[in-house]
Amino acid sequence: MDIASINVGDTLPSKTISVDQQLINDYADICGDYNTLHVDVEAMKSNEMFGGSTIAHGTINVEPVMQAICAIQGKTWPAEGTTIELQFRAPVKPGMTISSNLVVKEKTDNSLVCDMQIQDQDGNACARGSAEIIVP
Amino acid sequence: MEQKFNTDLITNFGSDKMLADLTFAEMESGWDCGGGTYKITQEEVEKFAKLMGDSNTGAENVPVGMIYIFGLRICWDRRVFIDQAVRAGDKITFHKPAKIGDTITTKLSIADKKEVTKEKDGKVRVTKFLYVNMSATNQDGEKITDIVMSFLLPRTMK
Repeated sequence: MDIASINVGDTLPSKTISVDQQLINDYADICGDYNTLHVDVEAMKSNEMFGGSTIAHGTINVEPVMQAICAIQGKTWPAEGTTIELQFRAPVKPGMTISSNLVVKEKTDNSLVCDMQIQDQDGNACARGSAEIIVP
Repeated sequence: MEQKFNTDLITNFGSDKMLADLTFAEMESGWDCGGGTYKITQEEVEKFAKLMGDSNTGAENVPVGMIYIFGLRICWDRRVFIDQAVRAGDKITFHKPAKIGDTITTKLSIADKKEVTKEKDGKVRVTKFLYVNMSATNQDGEKITDIVMSFLLPRTMK
């Protein structure tokens, strides 16, 4: 994507991931994090804090925004110096579809500073923060 | 569930005293929580890219989301995730790309801590936050990522 064609206020192309229990289990098999919160469907049925559901690893929340940044830069890896800062707002549960929402707040010769939200299918924030995307 | 994580891919190192053994007072900036290594194989890269539908990957490149895979299990093994602590957020800085075949070394250390005092209805509530730096370098000593993880510590924390 050509940075010259991007203006302050623009919403950048989004990436979406559908989360189900199988994706969470497969993620656990790749990273080795088998916390009960994520993978023990039976045990979590009696957990009131999360409404009887498992929750995705918090790092899965960040996945759409990392992919979106690579797509914007046309690279396989974010350019050196790119930063993402976020606070988790709500757990991601099986059955949810999460998307990145990046809005350009500031533009320099080689970077886009964006307000960032990772949101569920109804637009509720799962994580909020900002990203500085370096475009070399 | 049957656990299929390949523990041959990782090692961990550090002292016997771990982050989870510390009191809040003992949690000082720069405290070394240890770390570990993760070997990036073609097999895991393909599994991850397929799972996340990541189409940005190239021939020897690693899907960007794997930055967390390098360190997550090491955080558990080094007991950086304190019981009842809540992951509050992250700040990620990207450096050089990771490549298939790299051995990534993750080092964990305390970045900072903070106490926030709030008064409500005449009651004083103190909330404790901890910030842990998870830095990843490749076998040539090149920085891959720095991730500062923030945690909301349990109220029972001394």
